Amino acid sequence: MLFVIGDYLAGMMVGALTAIGVRAVIWPGMDMVVAMIVGMAIGMAIHLVFGLIFAPLIGMFNAMIPASLIGMYGGMFFGMRDSMAAGSRTLGAAIAVGVVFGAIVVAGVEYYDRTLRGAVVDSGY
Amino acid sequence: MDTATQRKWDAASRSFDFISFGDDHRLGPHKRRLFAKMHGAILMVAAGTGNDFRFFPTGQSILAIDISPRMLERAEKKAAQYQGKIELRQMDVCQLQLPDSSFDSVVTVCTFCSVPEPVVGLRELYRVLKPGGHILMFEHVRSRIGPLGIFLDLMTPLSRRVGPDLNRDTVGNVQKAGFRIRREENVYLDIVKSIEGVKDQ
Repeated sequence: MLFVIGDYLAGMMVGALTAIGVRAVIWPGMDMVVAMIVGMAIGMAIHLVFGLIFAPLIGMFNAMIPASLIGMYGGMFFGMRDSMAAGSRTLGAAIAVGVVFGAIVVAGVEYYDRTLRGAVVDSGY
Repeated sequence: MDTATQRKWDAASRSFDFISFGDDHRLGPHKRRLFAKMHGAILMVAAGTGNDFRFFPTGQSILAIDISPRMLERAEKKAAQYQGKIELRQMDVCQLQLPDSSFDSVVTVCTFCSVPEPVVGLRELYRVLKPGGHILMFEHVRSRIGPLGIFLDLMTPLSRRVGPDLNRDTVGNVQKAGFRIRREENVYLDIVKSIEGVKDQ
């Protein structure tokens, strides 16, 4: 149970930090494609640093896999949003969206993990 | 002896227990369930700092090898705490100084993500296993899920510098070495797996 809580906390933190990082670099009016690429790069860098920080606590893959998806896709989405100045007008609102996005990705990965878990091959002898 | 690999894991031994703390606690029950199947003469490959000894069933006699002498130094205390017998020896899995058909079980934990020539190492394990013997592996592999597989491919040039490859097809390599896959189980997504291979009679 503690590990699951840790998974969500790590995911929400990576989501929040990605939102902050993207907001700091992307300005309204920036070319959206460039903003998405830059956002993705920021998200990937943040995931790498913070994924490694969380890995000793919750496990390498349990930390890195959700964090990679949050960083990669979150960075693109937040970059797109911030280049359009669409929604999340304050930094607090952007962070809240990052936290929610992180939690949703972790929930999705946990659900997918449950569907995949178990025997793939079992010849029995 | 592959000295480049030896140096890499000697360096990694300093932080190994800290980095693997979460995995050891989280994945321990899965390892314990897999290792319950080991019996007879047992070879453990890549013992590391001995973190997995606590998941072995008690009362076994095990030869545990590793390419890194620094790892083995750290494993000594944990081997002494095991309720059974664990002999530690420095050895390269690709050049095993062990006779043919001498073990009933071989155990590996996150090993073939790091062996530079995995099929060569697995063929050596096939050689030292008795006919009917089995290999019990707890390994991470490349995901077949599109974006995750690509992510693991992208991360591998970085991870390889300090530790393992993240995109190995270990199940395929086990089969290439001659083993029949008796059981393959997903532990985390399709990345962390327990694999049981058999050397048929």
